[in-house]
Amino acid sequence: MGLLELLRKLKASPSHEIRVLLLGLDNAGKTTILKSLAGEEVSKVTPTQGFNIKSVKQEKWNLNVWDIGGQRNIRPYWRNYFENTDVLIYVIDSADRKRLDETGLELTELLEEEKLQGVPLLIFANKQDLLSAAPPGEIADSLGLNDIRTRTWQIQACSAMSGEGLEHGMNWVLKTCSKPK
Amino acid sequence: MPAKAEDILKGFKLNWMNLRDAETGRILWQATEDLSVPGKEHEARVPKRLLKCKSVSREINFSSTEQMNQFRLEQKVLFKGRCLEEWYFDFGFVIPNSTNTWQSLIEAAPEGQMMPASLLSGHVVVETKFFDDNLLVSTSRVRLYYV
Repeated sequence: MGLLELLRKLKASPSHEIRVLLLGLDNAGKTTILKSLAGEEVSKVTPTQGFNIKSVKQEKWNLNVWDIGGQRNIRPYWRNYFENTDVLIYVIDSADRKRLDETGLELTELLEEEKLQGVPLLIFANKQDLLSAAPPGEIADSLGLNDIRTRTWQIQACSAMSGEGLEHGMNWVLKTCSKPK
Repeated sequence: MPAKAEDILKGFKLNWMNLRDAETGRILWQATEDLSVPGKEHEARVPKRLLKCKSVSREINFSSTEQMNQFRLEQKVLFKGRCLEEWYFDFGFVIPNSTNTWQSLIEAAPEGQMMPASLLSGHVVVETKFFDDNLLVSTSRVRLYYV
């Protein structure tokens, strides 16, 4: 089941345009998640040097998912893509324990951005297929998710390689933005 | 400072384009030759079964050396010059020295409303125009043959 099918199942709401922003450190798996959701080959994904956008049109809906590169030199440009975001998806490489602090800092900065105030947040705790992956509970603690009071949030364990957990997460995303604001 | 028009044009390149069966994600056609050669119309020979797909995806990849602030595209699917389908997409900001992809996924018309391959073949053109605000940055035209 891909994005089109998830959209088909949604009930209509006042807003028909959905903008999802996909961020996270380099090598977190953002592009692989997007491709995996569409059933596409994921073995040849290379670091994103800009953005990848998937625009999905279905009878009632127009969904745009923006995946922006996560390399350090690209991160300063993230802010150019904040406007009108309906849901923020933040992707974590759960096996990259050395960079849990770094990803936490980036997330904290994002959540302080004015243009992202109140925007619902989904954390994809990716790479759960790896033995060294931190469980979602540990990641939630490390990121301080339980202190978030000003937005709806959810953490979803997933594996972009196997596809596990992705649809569950996307379902939450689409349901969250089909609710009246 | 905004980049000059000629720098934008010089620094822009269409790298590749493909068509997929969006249900399976499988690529049915891909072009990797430089698509932005001006004036050239490209030919895509795609399997007839593309017309039987419940949904299709078109993907286009481009690079820009210059930063752009009001980047957008217009994509039209033309049958004998008549517009069957159009997309307008606003990218807004383009990172300098970036390579970017835009993919559109759309549900196909119900089977009963779909014209047969023999009528469509050679008469369908996918035209993609890129603009920075009102500056036409690039045009690509791909003519589809269903084989």
